[in-house]
Amino acid sequence: MSGRGVWLRARARLRRFPALLAGCGEQASAYGRCVAAASAGSAELRRDVCLREFQALRECFARAAAATKC
Amino acid sequence: MAAARALWRPGLPVPRGCGRLWAQPGRAAAAVAPPPPSGASPGARSPFDRRLKRKQKNWAALRPRPAECEYLRDEVGSGVADRVLDIPRTFPLALDLGSGRGYIARHLNQEVIEKLVQVDIAENVFKSTSESEIPTVSVVADEECLPFKENTFDLVVSSLSLHWVNDLPKAFREIHQVLKPDGVFIGAMFGGDTLYELRCSLQLAELEREGGFSPHVSPFVAVSDLGHLLSRAGFNTLTVDTDEIQVNYPGLFEVMEDLQGMGESNCSWNRKPLLHRDTMLAAAAIYQEMYGNSDGSVPATFQIFYMIGWKFHESQAKPAQRGSATVSLGDLAKIDKLLHQK
Repeated sequence: MSGRGVWLRARARLRRFPALLAGCGEQASAYGRCVAAASAGSAELRRDVCLREFQALRECFARAAAATKC
Repeated sequence: MAAARALWRPGLPVPRGCGRLWAQPGRAAAAVAPPPPSGASPGARSPFDRRLKRKQKNWAALRPRPAECEYLRDEVGSGVADRVLDIPRTFPLALDLGSGRGYIARHLNQEVIEKLVQVDIAENVFKSTSESEIPTVSVVADEECLPFKENTFDLVVSSLSLHWVNDLPKAFREIHQVLKPDGVFIGAMFGGDTLYELRCSLQLAELEREGGFSPHVSPFVAVSDLGHLLSRAGFNTLTVDTDEIQVNYPGLFEVMEDLQGMGESNCSWNRKPLLHRDTMLAAAAIYQEMYGNSDGSVPATFQIFYMIGWKFHESQAKPAQRGSATVSLGDLAKIDKLLHQK
């Protein structure tokens, strides 16, 4: 990673995350519920157990990012 | 200056200057990355990169509004100041380890502490110290190797900086060494349950997204270990009590941003250099769902251990000898009669 510009741009992108995530509350709680259920009790949480919910969340997030692109 | 020179441990070069004592750049580098020191306890690991911690604290101190992220340190600093005020003594010379911008001194006055020495690893924090009545000398030094002579200070305080120390037993021993007999050490440290919500959310997200996880929140000391460490370092009459502070944030990103602003970013050697955006997104969703409050905010728990330890002096109360009791506990019901008899 060379130059300060990279860090500043990465930080600026990251700062938009909370606002974008706020618009995807439904998908976020669906994903959270899935992970909570998968890790509760004696179940072991494995990779991609909640893949579908996460993909829905990411698509919503990407849509929000594209919509509010400045 | 002569007074400050008298405090210095023999063998270390004394820095020039007056008022602020800045360590020479070469020596500062040596102070933050020391070769295995001769006094190290056996089996001492070094989980933390002190150079990086110094850079992080320097960065945090140079932010445009450093006062924004200091609510937690201020709160704990006032807790430590309360405990100092509980002791009805005036301390001629006190040491503040890992002082930052001075969160304890701002709650105390010259009647309690006559002169204060502030020590911190990051020099930029001294560029914006908060106002205090107490005359202060600032020293840039590492908490792990204090440059002071034995039996120098009447009081040592430390607020929320010992959790980044690599060799905690050695740090406690050094504190015990620089204290005068009948001196007291009052400290506050982050403890076991701190930020457990953040730790669990990141762990679950990494497990689900990437199939494995690495530690993102540094390990904290447990309350039982703290008591053992303090007594092994030589402190008497220990008191350890815990306080839990819960701060509500809008979400995971704000938690991490404020932690960064406090200078509390991860600096373990075994930290993962990259946190994927997907993982962060997943962790934010999990945090909200598993720990979120009803109004949409998320709590972050900080567990603070306050500890008080004394250095031995003949005048201190000792436990009574076995067999020297004059009344029995069974006579407690007749205590009125006993008191009148006296």
